[in-house]
Amino acid sequence: MGYVAVKGGTIAIEESIKRLTYERLKQGKVIDVDRIEAGMRCLIDQVMSESSLYSESLAATAIKQAEGNPEEAVFLMRAYRSTLPRKHYSRIVRSEDMVVERRISACFKDIPGGQILGAAFDYTQRLLDFELNEETDEDAIIWLHEYALESGAENDHTVLDGLPKVLDYLREEGLLAACEDNDTEPDDVTKESIQFPTSRSQRLQILTRGQTGAVTSLGYAALRSYGALHPTVGELRIGNLPVYVDNPFTEENEDENAYYIGAIKVTEVESLFPVCKQMKHGEKEIEFGIGYGICYGQNETKAIAMSILDHCLETGNPEYPTHNEEFVLLHIDSVESTGFISHLKLPHYVTFQSELDSVRKSKKGGKSKERESVEEPRHEN
Amino acid sequence: MNRKMRTEILLKGSVELAAKLAGEIQAKYDIKIIAEPNLGLAMLKVRETAQRTLFYLGEVLITECKVLINGHLGIGMIKGDEQEFAYYLAIIDAAYNAELPETKVWTRIFRQEDAKIKKLDIDFKNKVIQTKVNFQTMDV
Repeated sequence: MGYVAVKGGTIAIEESIKRLTYERLKQGKVIDVDRIEAGMRCLIDQVMSESSLYSESLAATAIKQAEGNPEEAVFLMRAYRSTLPRKHYSRIVRSEDMVVERRISACFKDIPGGQILGAAFDYTQRLLDFELNEETDEDAIIWLHEYALESGAENDHTVLDGLPKVLDYLREEGLLAACEDNDTEPDDVTKESIQFPTSRSQRLQILTRGQTGAVTSLGYAALRSYGALHPTVGELRIGNLPVYVDNPFTEENEDENAYYIGAIKVTEVESLFPVCKQMKHGEKEIEFGIGYGICYGQNETKAIAMSILDHCLETGNPEYPTHNEEFVLLHIDSVESTGFISHLKLPHYVTFQSELDSVRKSKKGGKSKERESVEEPRHEN
Repeated sequence: MNRKMRTEILLKGSVELAAKLAGEIQAKYDIKIIAEPNLGLAMLKVRETAQRTLFYLGEVLITECKVLINGHLGIGMIKGDEQEFAYYLAIIDAAYNAELPETKVWTRIFRQEDAKIKKLDIDFKNKVIQTKVNFQTMDV
């Protein structure tokens, strides 16, 4: 099938873009980008995660330009990202170094360091708060002042930047197999297209940048009927991870010589799956498999769903699509899936003409055959 | 003071401190800009905790600047679009690399700033710990 170049749409396209601007501005009001950054925390987190680019200010600009449409904002972020040089790779970031703001476990009531609820919608009543319609900047400042004056938990000596992991506790108990650091250099899906079977590093990179809704839906499918898994969240933690970069001009990469470049907020989840293992003499033993999820910002549902899909893809049960890496990994990327779906509305004039010709021919052929079949009995008579 | 400690203090502390220290050097030395503050990306290499393997989490927007003082290179690197901050960081880094005498007295200033940061960290911790659950078994 060849392509045919056509013209004549330039003015219409220019006017269409004007209509888009009109839709954004028609009420005569604009949102400041810093207000988006201040008040749209969760949307910013989602956009940063799906675009695989950590920058609250860029995400806020993208959200403004996209009029709050996450898929368009992610597209803008990915496009902008492609214009920037990758200057550095970080030193290995360890979630054990997280300055925790929220940390819960569904496995144990009492965990070392305690269950820290932090900021979460989970404990709200989900009743629309109409008072927010009248909220002012002054109200915000008063609230912040009053909150700062409230006494904190001054006698609690918990250290937030070195909380022990629930998994480590299970490993110490012998309930999980001990695990050594594997320093194999990771693959990078932004540099090289994936081939199946994929490596673990490719799977995790694709899952963490997956579209929140797609990752959540497939994770849900794996729970509900395509694998009927029921994991328990061993630990969900949210907080800031410090990022360090080695000096690019020296060979010595000592820890104390590194540059601290700032911290990034992430959500991390470790889920536990009971797995039945067949032993030598026909005995069965139950042990735990671990699913891992992590994403930029606070996005708990995505991180939990990622941990489910990580476990599914590690298991690779051929009975279920949610365990099939091609099915999962090739369909969860926001730009790829929305881009492909969206291309259907672009001109397909030649393709459709060809289809139309085929339909006309088959209809014509069908009619004459129909006529023949109707006429045939007459001949017989 | 090693680079890790001083960059932590400078980035967690106020930009005014970085501006003040860089200003001291600017007033006395010739600063040659090798690379103006410019945007780029740093890819994050993360260790996951299920199988303890490495993977790439994603990229972070950074600003980077390079300067030369007395033939010694200094690099400023910071998350986000922070052009001025990156420039100050590069000057301070070059000052340390050139072992300029001004840096000898900076240790005390860094310690004071670190104390302020630690105070803010404690305030933050106390607020977060207020959300820690204190489980009590109910009598039914």
